[in-house]
Amino acid sequence: MSSTDARLQRVPLPEPIAGLDRDGLRVAIQEEYAEVATHPDKGFHFHTGRPLARMLGYADAWLTGIPEGAIESFAGTGNPFSLGELRPGEQVVDIGCGAGIDSLIAARMVGDGGSVIGVDMTPAMLAKARHNATEAGITHVEFRAGYGEALPVPDGWSDVVISNGVLNLMPDKLVALTEMARVLKPGGRLQIADIMVQLPVPQDAKADISLWTG
Amino acid sequence: MAAGFVGFEITWKADAFSGAPQSSSAAEFGTLGITFRARKATNEAEWQDALANLTCAT
Repeated sequence: MSSTDARLQRVPLPEPIAGLDRDGLRVAIQEEYAEVATHPDKGFHFHTGRPLARMLGYADAWLTGIPEGAIESFAGTGNPFSLGELRPGEQVVDIGCGAGIDSLIAARMVGDGGSVIGVDMTPAMLAKARHNATEAGITHVEFRAGYGEALPVPDGWSDVVISNGVLNLMPDKLVALTEMARVLKPGGRLQIADIMVQLPVPQDAKADISLWTG
Repeated sequence: MAAGFVGFEITWKADAFSGAPQSSSAAEFGTLGITFRARKATNEAEWQDALANLTCAT
């Protein structure tokens, strides 16, 4: 065994989560975020909208011209653009794009010479994102239905993958990250916002869908 | 199996949940919002070099 293989052997692979109803989890997430799309003022266990964008350091200039429908349903956990503004002409994939705020900001940054594919599994969010793109007059963004674990994007298409508060909702992180790698060009960048926990999560909690969504 | 990223770095951590309209399980586990960056290795040589020098700083 090479020394490289030996190093990989010491990196523990994530264990499958015993007892987790993955289909049920997806349904629960879709239902939650359909509410964020259709009733954004309802009040959730996470911040949303323009106040959240300000809290996360989104520049006012980025939000100028972005439809209110995209901003009101924003439910991210960080600021992918704090890792660097995207460059003109770049091709971007936004995983878990929701109502499109980050995709539309990305589209502005990359300009007409670039393009953005936003992927989401929640029909209500996709419909809202498409409406928001039309309202913004941005044509170089496309919203596609799909899962982070099986992106509807060709191999090596993307210069940058962004995502905001989505990876934590996918049980198999390695599959999700492998998909991100697949769609990136060699040398392509990840600029990801998500969450981390600082305390151990018991196995029974990992299988509790209500803790994933609430 | 590995995804093939190099240069992983968490660049920001903060409480992004306190004060939300509904109570959350986030506080129970000390949940923080984060941003991280990484880059897909440019070629196999860069990937193997990264693996050879893999460390986990805590």
